[in-house]
Amino acid sequence: MKMNLRHYLRAINAENIKEWKIELTYRVDFIRGLFEPLFYVLPAILYGMAIVGGRYSENLEKLTGTGNLITYTVIGYVFMGFLETAVWGMGFALRKEQWYGTIEQVFAAPVPRWVYVMGMALHSTMHQGLIIIMQSVVIYFIFGLVLDISGILPSLLIIGIMMISLYGLGILLSSLVLIFKEGWIISEILYSFMIIVTPIAYPLAVLPSILQKISMYMPTTYGISTIRHFLIGESLGFSVFDAVLRLLAIGVLWVIFGLFIFNIVDRRVRNKGELGTY
Amino acid sequence: MDHIVVSNLTKKFIKKGKRRFLTREKEEILALDHISLRVKKGELFGLLGPNGAGKTTLVKCLATLLIPDEGTAVIDGYDIIEDPISVRKILGITTGGERTLYWKLSARDNLKYFASLYGLSSKEAEERIDYLLNIMDLKEKQHQRLEKYSTGMRQKVSIARAILHDPKIILLDEPTLGLDPSFSMFLRSFIKNELNRKEGKTILLTTHYMEEADQLCDRIAFVNKGKLIVVDTSKNLKRSVSKNEVLEIKCVGNVENLVGFNAYMENKRDYTKVKILHENTEEIMDDVLKIIKEKAKILSVNVKRPTLEDVFIHLTGSELRDDYE
Ligand SMILES: Nc1ncnc2c1ncn2[C@@H]1O[C@H](COP(=O)(O)OP(=O)(O)OP(=O)(O)O)[C@@H](O)[C@H]1O
Ligand SMILES: [Mg+2]
Repeated sequence: MKMNLRHYLRAINAENIKEWKIELTYRVDFIRGLFEPLFYVLPAILYGMAIVGGRYSENLEKLTGTGNLITYTVIGYVFMGFLETAVWGMGFALRKEQWYGTIEQVFAAPVPRWVYVMGMALHSTMHQGLIIIMQSVVIYFIFGLVLDISGILPSLLIIGIMMISLYGLGILLSSLVLIFKEGWIISEILYSFMIIVTPIAYPLAVLPSILQKISMYMPTTYGISTIRHFLIGESLGFSVFDAVLRLLAIGVLWVIFGLFIFNIVDRRVRNKGELGTY
Repeated sequence: MDHIVVSNLTKKFIKKGKRRFLTREKEEILALDHISLRVKKGELFGLLGPNGAGKTTLVKCLATLLIPDEGTAVIDGYDIIEDPISVRKILGITTGGERTLYWKLSARDNLKYFASLYGLSSKEAEERIDYLLNIMDLKEKQHQRLEKYSTGMRQKVSIARAILHDPKIILLDEPTLGLDPSFSMFLRSFIKNELNRKEGKTILLTTHYMEEADQLCDRIAFVNKGKLIVVDTSKNLKRSVSKNEVLEIKCVGNVENLVGFNAYMENKRDYTKVKILHENTEEIMDDVLKIIKEKAKILSVNVKRPTLEDVFIHLTGSELRDDYE
């Protein structure tokens, strides 16, 4: 058993390293990928500033307890990047193996499927981490951000807990794209939906009430708001303790659901012989 | 002792056809039809059959990549359905096809990745990879990406990958398909002399090259349309028809009036090939030629000793490959 754990950890790491190596052979695309998210966040900031006439918004302050729309929006966008990890990074990892033609060889190795999932999660989280650092640096130099330094550590903790749910989502999507030829549509819909009901650039209060209710089931809602609470003092409609508890509960549920579907899909593709077909 | 015991293995596929109003045509393919066979420890066992015979399907079932509909297989004591992880540990496999490695990575990086999946420590992996790259004569190009390799070189890497963890049992799906003769020769000799004779590995290989099965395999199983036709040594298989000769006639025209002769006919692009297996071809030659001449033009006539291919035709009524000759 101990031997196995060592073996599995090694496999997870190897998966991560392999993904980096392949990714880095496409250098231009890799660099483009690092900066691309900036082109989503910049228009949002500039648009906001144009409407409000500066970086300070009285209305935002009234709704959230913090009026600096740049820090508010930037933090939302930057950390929402971790949703990309789940939906596009993990979600398409197995599809990529199908596309390379390697999936059968990989699945013939003596490690359980969750090992691949962890490897994908590790790689895509690291990749997203790098993107987030790049973005933060660039934005810092353009706009100058004022953050509460003491909030960084608890924020990292919150991110860690939020990632559990996102990994659950990643596991789910990575298997679904194996059976649905147009699997990316499911990913796209879920992704867009979560972007809308998560308070990234706007507070929840501006959403229709039905969406506000749904938002309370999204890990990103708790994640993003709580991070902003720690970094810029956003006032929360719930306690930090509640947020952590709900994040954990949603996380456990999503992971269990993700693994459940993953196993069903794995059996199905091995029954129908669809694994290697792309 | 038997290293691979296959019992009653059956696999159906549903092939989706054209879409019709609200429904879709479905065709059921019996890829494996209640196959049972045993491969002994240390044996080099060949599955010989034409396209679509079910060879790859059998290999994938054994490798736990496909779940059979019926029956099962036990590999060195582990059941493929109940204990797939244990099975994967002792198996080395190459599934056919060219793109089973990462073309964007070097040979060494490919092998390193798979070594970790098979549980080798990095020190063990480095040593083993050095050894394998040497023996495969790939040392010089080990840091080049596979996209720059030839098909034959990639196949060498594939086989190195299959035996990284020094498995007891090796499954090779069409190991020499589409390779240059020099690579085929190298790999055949490697499989036979190094892996089977020297290291004593149990090997199951699939092929539709008759010579390959003939040269390498201790025993050969003929498979056709999902069914196991016969299992025996090449010698015995040939002996079963050794009293016979093959009368082979190439001609152009209609030869349907040959039915009485138990002839095997095949339409090639420019001619029809007729093969008749008979104890004494001289005896029937005149009659056969006369009948053919009625409606066709004869291009050539040949009398040959039967090969394994002729045994296959005799037993299954179909030829091993489309591109024969
Ligand atoms: N995933 C699949 N879905 C549907 N049909 C399949 C699938 N895999 C194989 N088949 C069908 O099952 C039959 C057996 O295929 P298989 O690949 O096992 O044959 P083979 O002996 O390996 O042939 P080849 O020499 O072409 O590799 C074929 O008719 C094939 O079309
Ligand atoms: Mg095949």
